[in-house]
Amino acid sequence: MNRRDFIKMGALGGVIVLTRPSLIDQKLFAHDGRLYESFEKVQLVDEEGTPIKASALEVDVDYIFQYPHAGTPCILLNLSEKSEVNVELKDALGDIYLWSEGVGKSGSIVAYSAICSHALTHPNKSESFFAYVPKGKASAAIEKGGAIVCSSHLSSFDPRNGGKVLGGPADQPLASIVLEHNAQDDTLWAVGVLGSAKFNDYFNAFKTEMDRDWGGKRQAKKLVKISAPTVKLTKFTKEVIQY
Amino acid sequence: MSMTRRDAFKVAGATAAVAAAATFTGCAKAEGAAPAVAPSQSHVTLMPKSKGKRVVIIGAGFGGLAAAKYIRKQDASIEVVVLDRRDIFMSCPFSNSLLGGLEDVTLDTLTRDLYAGAAKYGYRLEQCTVTGIDRASKTVMTSCGSVDYDILVLSPGIDYDYKGQFPEWSDEKIRHVQQQAPAALMAGSEHLALKRMMDNMDGGNVIITVPAGKYRCPPAPFERASMIAAYMKKEGIEGKVIILNATKNIAKGKAFKEVWADKYSGLIEHRDDCTITDIDLTNNKIHYKQIVGVDKEEKEIVETKVESFAVLNFIPKNKANAVVAMSGVKTNAWGGVIMNGASFQSKDDKHVYAIGDVVGHGVPPSGQTANWTAKEAVKEIVAQLNAHEPYKLNLPYSAANVCYSMVTDGPEEAIMVTHDFSFNGTVIAAKATVPHPKDGDGKYRSKGLAKATREWYRGILDDMFM
Ligand SMILES: Cc1cc2nc3c(=O)[nH]c(=O)nc-3n(C[C@H](O)[C@H](O)[C@H](O)COP(=O)(O)OP(=O)(O)OC[C@H]3O[C@@H](n4cnc5c(N)ncnc54)[C@H](O)[C@@H]3O)c2cc1C
Ligand code: FES
Repeated sequence: MNRRDFIKMGALGGVIVLTRPSLIDQKLFAHDGRLYESFEKVQLVDEEGTPIKASALEVDVDYIFQYPHAGTPCILLNLSEKSEVNVELKDALGDIYLWSEGVGKSGSIVAYSAICSHALTHPNKSESFFAYVPKGKASAAIEKGGAIVCSSHLSSFDPRNGGKVLGGPADQPLASIVLEHNAQDDTLWAVGVLGSAKFNDYFNAFKTEMDRDWGGKRQAKKLVKISAPTVKLTKFTKEVIQY
Repeated sequence: MSMTRRDAFKVAGATAAVAAAATFTGCAKAEGAAPAVAPSQSHVTLMPKSKGKRVVIIGAGFGGLAAAKYIRKQDASIEVVVLDRRDIFMSCPFSNSLLGGLEDVTLDTLTRDLYAGAAKYGYRLEQCTVTGIDRASKTVMTSCGSVDYDILVLSPGIDYDYKGQFPEWSDEKIRHVQQQAPAALMAGSEHLALKRMMDNMDGGNVIITVPAGKYRCPPAPFERASMIAAYMKKEGIEGKVIILNATKNIAKGKAFKEVWADKYSGLIEHRDDCTITDIDLTNNKIHYKQIVGVDKEEKEIVETKVESFAVLNFIPKNKANAVVAMSGVKTNAWGGVIMNGASFQSKDDKHVYAIGDVVGHGVPPSGQTANWTAKEAVKEIVAQLNAHEPYKLNLPYSAANVCYSMVTDGPEEAIMVTHDFSFNGTVIAAKATVPHPKDGDGKYRSKGLAKATREWYRGILDDMFM
């Protein structure tokens, strides 16, 4: 696959836009321009700067990279099974959009903004209440696991289905990070953000943390260029708190 | 205050209500220092007539502020007006951490600019006291004039029911008790007064009473006992915390009892089945009757007891805020609005909704539940005002409510409860689970949960204001 077709349509069945993210090099406008935004195409690399190989990603393990801003965490997962395909999602304003599928050889690699769509809880360098609970593992938020869980108010999201809300107070899916997989060299690239991301609220809400983790809000806001270091969540943060 | 005048509000119609208002605002504790309204001002309007899509929300608390924001987010063509007698937001949730003297918790932690959400989402917030509701003309009367609505949302929270609990007490005694033994279930100076009393105390008992019936935040008195005990330990205050509970029920009981046994042995004492009979503020004594067992004929053995205190946190019975009665919609015995099935619309009047503590469902009176009821009600209201298909609530809903309680300091630890909500054919009911956290070493409490408590609190406030 590696090209992610997606559709965007107005809330009440208005215009339908069908396009390929890799062909979009500017902001795509829905009626208010929120549903897809392309950013610089950035390669996922490890801490040393070596490109990450998609097939080397451990299964069901949380990885974190920063995208599209230097201080906006994203979660990368290589799920134990293939994702669903062409999932219809609805944001809080009722706008419908389509998430195409996971990437990689088995269509199991997905990435989402790790800023909770409810009230912005996210991994920071000291702790994370936000992590994937693999299938079969219980959580206070969702009995059977298989969900990204935010342990702040127990929202859960389905990574196999475009970050759809499974439970909790969140009223819209996690914004997803549009990935491209290069089948020739097995590399991964982030190209844009699909869905409603709350980056601005996030920058405003966590002043102290921006100072501590990123050297200030302005630094955190800078757009990521060329490559994005990708590390395990347990490495990125001191403590993973999960219920 | 209002409870003593409640009956007056039952009279519907503008004149009667405004006349009642004059007495109401003229008496006792002036919340928001509302000026008295003379009957002749009954025609004063707070704002021009509605153009057909106006929602008036009474109460800028956990329910009301969430509702205002989410209506505006979902449909900016709807005009939203929020009325509250306060002019600064202060939170009840997390306030026990202030009493516990937890790190970095100050009055700042508990307060917010009440107008922040209004500025961001374009709704109006008017500081005034609601004094009457006339459903026939769809008008709300306030200390600053009247305002008409197309949809009315009630989110006024609770009132204390001193009168119901002690019919023989004079209004003066009630006011005295309210100040000298603050209940601190309604955010404001009561919390600060309790804090002051704790700061000033050098030794003795802190007594916390737990009422019978529905009251706001069932774990709150027990969290408070734990936080006060933590504070006394830290400060080396000799004495103990005594909980006089009207029943045997302790919300999150297993988890609280475990931490009390592990960390506060001899410092927290919980007494079951205590009915308070009188409070003597001159001699700092509380009189009560306790059921101590049953005799051979299975009759209860009741003992009359008295206990002295240095600080008394007297939590009286609760009831729905008097605003509900002003609307005249049908209520249950507690005063909660009877709802139209699995909905937040009142059964009586499709133009009146209720959210937060005053819903007539079997869901816990908590901030997070208030937030959820608000968001679901908003979807119903937006559909109704736009003549769309009625919105059906998303039920059953698992882990719908999550409520943390801070229990220790040095290190901070907390416990949690979650509730699943479902519709039982009559009301939305809740089922509680108190889980063992993964990082708790087999205990109900953990350090991670304490961090989650802080994060929960930040998130729920940001959800109202950001
Ligand atoms: C100590 C304590 C700890 C708590 N901890 C938690 C917790 O950890 N988690 C949790 O989820 N919940 C907690 N709660 C419960 C939570 O505070 C309430 O359930 C929640 O505030 C209910 O929201 P509400 O909108 O119904 O009422 P409120 O938030 O009380 O809002 C009601 C508003 O209506 C206004 N009002 C009332 N009458 C009038 C009038 N006549 N005119 C104008 N305005 C009026 C009031 O000024 C107030 O601002 C706690 C409560 C207490 C007391
Ligand atoms: S911030 Fe994630 S559930 Fe509330």
